[in-house]
Amino acid sequence: MNVIQVESLTVCYQKPGLKRLTFDAVKQLSFEVHQGEVFGFLGPNGAGKTTTMNVLLGFVPPTRGAASLFGIDVRQPIARQRIGYLPELTYYYKFLTAEELLRFYAKIFSLPHAETDRRIDQLLKLVELEHARKRPIKSYSKGMQQRVGLAQALINNPDLLILDEPTSGLDPLGRMKVREIIQRLKNEGKTVFFSSHELGEVETVCDRVAIIHQGELKAVGRVNEITGQHASLEKAFLDIIGFQTTTAP
Amino acid sequence: MMSPRTFFLLLLALLILCFGFAAALLPRFAIYENRRHQSNNFFNLLLGDSSKMFANSFFVKADEYYHSGYYPTIFDNNSNFRTPHVAEDTGAVSSHNQGGEDTSFMGAPRDWLDAFGRHFIPNRHTHLDEGGAADDLSTSDNVREILPWLKLSARLDPDNVQTYTVTAYWLRIRMHKDKEAEQVLREGLRNNPQSCDILFELGRLFNESYHDTDRARNVWELAVRYWRQLPIEEQNDNKLIFEQITTNLGQLEERTGNLPQSVSWLQAAQTVSPMPGGLQKRIDEIKAKMAGPSLAPKSAN
Amino acid sequence: MKNIFAVAGIVIKELYRRKDFYVLFILTVLVCLIMGSVNVFNDKHVVRYLKELCLLLIWVSSLVIAITTTARQIPAEREQRTLLPLLAKPLTRTQLIFGKFLGCWLACGLVLICFYIFFGALAASRDHAWPLLNYFQAAFLHWIALGVVVAFALLGSLVFAAPSSNSTISFVIVATILTLGRYLDAVALAQPEPFRSLVYALYYAIPHLEIPFEMRNLIVHDWPLIGWNFIALETLYLLAYAVAFLVAACLVFRRKPVN
Repeated sequence: MNVIQVESLTVCYQKPGLKRLTFDAVKQLSFEVHQGEVFGFLGPNGAGKTTTMNVLLGFVPPTRGAASLFGIDVRQPIARQRIGYLPELTYYYKFLTAEELLRFYAKIFSLPHAETDRRIDQLLKLVELEHARKRPIKSYSKGMQQRVGLAQALINNPDLLILDEPTSGLDPLGRMKVREIIQRLKNEGKTVFFSSHELGEVETVCDRVAIIHQGELKAVGRVNEITGQHASLEKAFLDIIGFQTTTAP
Repeated sequence: MMSPRTFFLLLLALLILCFGFAAALLPRFAIYENRRHQSNNFFNLLLGDSSKMFANSFFVKADEYYHSGYYPTIFDNNSNFRTPHVAEDTGAVSSHNQGGEDTSFMGAPRDWLDAFGRHFIPNRHTHLDEGGAADDLSTSDNVREILPWLKLSARLDPDNVQTYTVTAYWLRIRMHKDKEAEQVLREGLRNNPQSCDILFELGRLFNESYHDTDRARNVWELAVRYWRQLPIEEQNDNKLIFEQITTNLGQLEERTGNLPQSVSWLQAAQTVSPMPGGLQKRIDEIKAKMAGPSLAPKSAN
Repeated sequence: MKNIFAVAGIVIKELYRRKDFYVLFILTVLVCLIMGSVNVFNDKHVVRYLKELCLLLIWVSSLVIAITTTARQIPAEREQRTLLPLLAKPLTRTQLIFGKFLGCWLACGLVLICFYIFFGALAASRDHAWPLLNYFQAAFLHWIALGVVVAFALLGSLVFAAPSSNSTISFVIVATILTLGRYLDAVALAQPEPFRSLVYALYYAIPHLEIPFEMRNLIVHDWPLIGWNFIALETLYLLAYAVAFLVAACLVFRRKPVN
């Protein structure tokens, strides 16, 4: 069973205005993500990455096609029981402390009290926020908020982690820590699905990648297969999406 | 260096200048002080003439409190409450307290919602001084609850004489607070110096509460003088108060043994009374008393 | 249910960590204490005007807290993007709506407890009486009425663009119901057709929140207890409206994009 299964997924949005025109954000997208792999989901801005993620998370219903997590249709809330999600922009309840936020999310996952306490201690140590666990989140820096986001994504010990631009806005040290966490999760047999514009990072961390452009899947496969004859994943990416460079090779 | 002569001349000139300024400015200051006194009232300053509208609302609020919240709104038929009972009762007449549900101003329920809603509002006609909502006569002194609204009404409209007289009545008769009643009336007199109604009420306070007939007489006679100074039209509009004052003076003089003066006051009352016959009867009785035993019927011997 | 209670817990935490409640409570206390210090002809037992003022301030404050707290729930989640990580959990939109409603409603309940305790203490300081059952009836129906207001404001937060417009509209509608709701049928009778039918329809359609509001008079003037059957009927009547608004909110929220 694939962890993520997307089949002929199409998502149409209605354009604002009287004419009720629609545009296809995602067109006939099909791919799967296997258990235990780190899967990169790449594409330029407006390619349809966020829309695809929104479908997987149940925020947006598919217009046509299907998507499932662990074999459960994404429209079922239970499909999200085993996933963790880190959004691109991490904002959390400013009046809560990190500990209270994690406890709240743990309640939604129906974690037992003792397990919750253990997980909170473990995660706050992992993201190096132990010293700030009792402080309200409004007093946190951006980096600290990002780390809280990572902690809440891991609170239920998810089998699938969906990360949307996880290193966006982080300094090099922060990015390294995120890479370490992803590697650790992979070693534990977890599946990681993330989108990123940092192709260097993707090249280092991912097992397989998919490249999407204008709502269509352009390429999917192992990193070295995609890179192929190109010098780097970045050059392969630009070639696949049809971008012509003006500078000399 | 100034010579002493120059110094003293300058001093004199300054003194003359100051005196001249004072003489010139004093009349303006007097006018300013008078105006300031008039705007001394915070509510008048804040609300202007609309304070009278609020004053009336609070007077009606006192009546609403008198009825423990059972009171018509502008949407109800309020003919039964045209005159606030709290003012009517200063005549100290029998009560309107009726047992059972009195929905005379509400009418029959208009629909099921209205009928249901009436369980959540005051729905009986009661008077605070007759037991109120609980029908418990031991709580009759709860009539004190109307006082804050009367006080506020007086503050907002110091020119409304009725507020002072009604407040004084409730303080004196029902709350037995004679000193407070006197304070209210004196405040009313400060704001309405020639008010016959307030003077009459003050006289009643002296007469009935303090049993001070001399002061009562002085105050009532002053009220009579003020009434006689009114223009004819105003005298015609205020005949009742003149009758009340002169009648009370007549009774006072009769009690103190000054019978000719008593007759004189009652005759004055007759000139404005709608029922002079009743007063004439009283005058005849006093005259008979004045004539003494000489007019008593001769014995058979 | 646990998800609903979890969301509700967050709302309650938010309320007691914001300053709104404390400001309104302190304001109410100050105004009542100042008014209570007024000398009314040297009589220390005059209390009803104070009770009326206190109850009015309690109603105003509770409506402010109910409407402003509820009006910002969903829009704030959207604006601060806390909605995304929340809905990425096994939490349905319906559970979120009910959780927000329950949190706001319970928060209002806690607020009312504080206010009514103060009211009871203030009244008892002069009355030397504790008609607890009367206070309970008034407070209970007050809380139920706030449930309707919260549900309405929650629906409004999904329909109107901004919390400020939702708050304003909710205040205007609630204030109109409280002051004129009882008399709409009398107003209808005075209108020509078709306005008469329209106003009548409005009269029957609106939740009659003025019923608990006007119970203040019974408390102020020491009227006897209302029959418990009427309390029960009124509770059911108002809860029906609250449920209707909540169902409408769930239906609207299902169709709304989250980002």
